[in-house]
Amino acid sequence: MSEAILELRGISKSFPGVAALKSVDLRVDRNEILGLVGENGAGKSTLMKVVIGFYRADEGKYLLRGEEVALGGPDDAIRAGVGMVFQEGCMVPNLSVMDNLFLANERGFARGPLIDRKRMAEAARAQLEEVGLGSLDPRTSVGGLPASRKQMIEIARLLWLSKLYGSENPVLILDEPTTVLQESETEMLFRILGELKKRASIIFISHRLEEVVSLSDRIVVLKDGVVVSDLERGKADVPSIERLMVGHELAAEHYRETMQAGPRGVVALSVRDLSLSGKFEGFSLDLREGEIVGLVGLLGSGKEDVCRCLGGSEAPSSGSISIRGRVSRFSSPKDAIAAGIGVIPIDRRNEGLATSLDVASNINLLVLSRMRRGPFLSPALERKSALKWISECMIKTPSPQTACATLSGGNQQKVVIAKWLAAEAGILVLDHPTRGIDVGAKDEIYRRIRELSAAGLSIIVMCDTLEEDIGLSDRILVMKDGRTVREIPCPRGGKPTPLDVIGYVV
Amino acid sequence: MKRAAIKPIYISMGMFAVLVGAFTAGDGNFLSAYNAQTILNAVAILLAVGLGQTCVIMTGGIDLSVGSIMSLVSVVFMLVIGRLGAWAFPFVLVVGLASGALNGVIVSRLRIPSFIGTLGTQGILLSLAYLLSASPLSVPENSYGVVDIVNGQVGPIKSVWMIGLATFMVFFVLQRFTRIGRGIIYIGANERMSYLSGLDIDKARLVSFAMSGLGAAIAGIVLSSTLYSGYPSIGGVYVLNSIAVVVVGGTAMTGGAGGMLNTLVGALIMGILNNGMTVVGIDVYAQQVFLGILVIVAVAVTFDRTKLAIIK
Repeated sequence: MSEAILELRGISKSFPGVAALKSVDLRVDRNEILGLVGENGAGKSTLMKVVIGFYRADEGKYLLRGEEVALGGPDDAIRAGVGMVFQEGCMVPNLSVMDNLFLANERGFARGPLIDRKRMAEAARAQLEEVGLGSLDPRTSVGGLPASRKQMIEIARLLWLSKLYGSENPVLILDEPTTVLQESETEMLFRILGELKKRASIIFISHRLEEVVSLSDRIVVLKDGVVVSDLERGKADVPSIERLMVGHELAAEHYRETMQAGPRGVVALSVRDLSLSGKFEGFSLDLREGEIVGLVGLLGSGKEDVCRCLGGSEAPSSGSISIRGRVSRFSSPKDAIAAGIGVIPIDRRNEGLATSLDVASNINLLVLSRMRRGPFLSPALERKSALKWISECMIKTPSPQTACATLSGGNQQKVVIAKWLAAEAGILVLDHPTRGIDVGAKDEIYRRIRELSAAGLSIIVMCDTLEEDIGLSDRILVMKDGRTVREIPCPRGGKPTPLDVIGYVV
Repeated sequence: MKRAAIKPIYISMGMFAVLVGAFTAGDGNFLSAYNAQTILNAVAILLAVGLGQTCVIMTGGIDLSVGSIMSLVSVVFMLVIGRLGAWAFPFVLVVGLASGALNGVIVSRLRIPSFIGTLGTQGILLSLAYLLSASPLSVPENSYGVVDIVNGQVGPIKSVWMIGLATFMVFFVLQRFTRIGRGIIYIGANERMSYLSGLDIDKARLVSFAMSGLGAAIAGIVLSSTLYSGYPSIGGVYVLNSIAVVVVGGTAMTGGAGGMLNTLVGALIMGILNNGMTVVGIDVYAQQVFLGILVIVAVAVTFDRTKLAIIK
C-alpha cells in the first residue's frame, strides 16, 4: 500500500437545486497518475474545484500529507503544492513566457526595487528544460504559442511554485489536456507526465478513455456526484468503464416516453452540408414537424456550433439552411427568429433572461408588437399575455411583476420557454434545457417538451446526460470532432441503451 | 425564494421627506411660497437634463456631453432668436437631438464606450459653442416676447413647471408605453440576451442618446430663458448634476433598473438639497461635501454590487 498524499473523505457539495457531490472519497497516492472519468455533469469539475480550494465542501474532510487542511482558495492550494492546469491555459497572453511563469512571484528576482530580468530568464530556461521545452525562448510572448506549449508552461509554473513553497511531491490536476492537442503532442505530454510521476502525483481528467486506461495507475469513475468505482491498473478496460459511467439501465417512463408522438408531417427544417471552418463540417439534417432530434457529442464536438448557426448568432462558412422549403440566410439572431427558430440557451442567466426584470417583461419581450393599442403598448394586454403564459407553463411566481432573479432555476427556465412559445417559434433548439434544475421541475419540462412535439413543433435538444438525450429524442445524431458519425433511431419502446451509444461519442 | 428588497424609489422618497423635514426645522422660510417657487424652477431644469441622462444610464451607458449640449443650445438660441422668433425653439431642439444622435452613432456604430465617446463630443460641442460666441450673449431687444413664453405663467402656475412636467410625460410615455423605450430597458438589463432575442440594439442606443440630447436642449432653453442670456460655460455643472439626479432617484448605473419616476424624485431631492443648504446657511464651499456624500450613499443603496467580483 503506497502512501496517500491527498485524501478527501465524505466530501459533499450542493448548489441551489442540485447536489453536485454526495459523500465522495478520493485518494491520491505518492508518485501516482490517477485517472478521473465521468459523463458531463457527473461532478468532476466540482470535485476538482474543491481540491484546489475554489469551492469549500459543505461536508467532509480534506487531508494533505496526512494532515487535515482548510484551503481558503486556489492560492492556499498552490502554497500547499496542489495546482490545476486548465484546458485552454490560464495565462496573460500579451506577456512573455517568463513573466507568466513567475507571475505574482517576481520578488525572488528583485535587485533593489527593480527586477533582474536576466536572472529571471535563466531561471525560466532551467524550468522549461524540466518539461522538455528547453528550446523555447523565455522572452517569447505567450499569445502566439500553440495550446500544447501553453499547457507545458503551466505545468512548469506549477512545478516551480511547488519548489518555491518547498512542497515535495506536488499534486497536479490536468483537466482534459489532450482535447486541444495533436496526436504527436499527446505522446509528448504522456512521456513528460511519465517522467513527472517520479516526483509528483497527477490527476488526469479525460473523456478519451483509451488514454486514461493506458496512462493511469488507478481510475476513479464518478457518476451523479458519487464515486461508483475505483479501479487499479490492469483491472480497467474501456467497455467496463463505459458501463460504469453510464450506470443503471434507464427507466422508460422517466422521460415521459408514453407521450412520445414521433415525427409527423412535413420537413420543417432542412440543413444541407452546413460547415463552420474549424468547428464542424458537412452537417445535414431533415427535421420534421413533431420530431425531436438529439444532438449528442462531447464538448467541442461541434454540436454547440451547429446550434449557434441555426440560431443566427454565428454565420456558417458554407452549406444551406431551409425552413419549410425556403432557403434562409441568417446574419443575426433576428433573422432566425423571423424564420421561426427559437434557441433556449444553456446559460439562462446571461443569455436567456433579464433576471433584474419582471416575469411579464421577459415573457412578452418577443411579442411586444402585438401588445399595442394604437401607437402605444397596452399594460392590460401585456398583463393578459403574461398571465396566460404563466398558467400555461405552470410558472410558480407570486405575480407577473416579480423579478425573475427571485425565481428558482426551474421556474426561470419555464419563463424562457414561455417567451419563445409566446413568439410562436415553430422550431426550438433546446440547449441543455434541464441544466441546474431539480427533479420535479425536470419532469415538468420533459412533459412540456412532449406536449410541444405533439402539437407539431420541431425540436432539437442537447442534454446533460446521454440517458436524457436518448429518452427524449426520436433519433439522435452523434457528433465527434466536427462530424456526424452516427445516426441512431430512438423510437418509443425501441430505445438504445446509453452503453450502445457512448462508444460512438468518446 | 429571496425576500424582496426595499425598492430604491421608496428609499429615495424617504430621503426626500427627511430633507424637507430637516430644512423646514432648520429655517421656517424654507417652506415659504417664494422659496418653493425657486426650488421648482431649479427642479424643472434638473429634471429635463436628468430625464435624458436616464435614457442613457438605463442602457448601462453614460452621457458626459449633456453640459456641452446645454451650452451649445443656449448660445445658438441667443444667436437665432432675433431672426427666427418662436421658431428658435424647434430649431435648438433639433440641435440638441442631432448632438445626441451624434453620440449615439459614435457609441453604437463605431463601438466606442459611451464614457470615452461622450467625453470626446463633450469637448467638441463645447468648442463649437465657444467658436460661435466666446462672450455671453443676451436676448436681443426685440425678442423678449419669445423668451417670456418660457418665463410666463398661467394663473399661479409658471410655464417653466409646465415645461418640466410635459418633458416628464413625454419621457415617461416613451419608457413605459413604446417598444423602443422597452428596448432601452432590455439592453440595459441584459445586452447579450437582447441580441439573441433579435432586438435592434444599435437603434435602441441611438434613440437613448438622441433623447438625452433632447432633454439637455430643453434644459438649455429653460436655463438661458430664465437668465435672459446664453454663454458656453452655462451647462458645465449639469454633467455631474444630471448624473446625480439619476442615481439619487435610484436608477442603477449598471442599467436595466429604475426609470423616469425615479428621476422625478431625484430631481426634487437635488433641487431641495441645493436650495435648502443655502437657506439654512451652510457655507457654499461646504455644500459640495454634502452633495458628494449624497451621491455616494445613493449609489451604495441602489447599486447591486453582490454580483461583481471587482469594482472598477
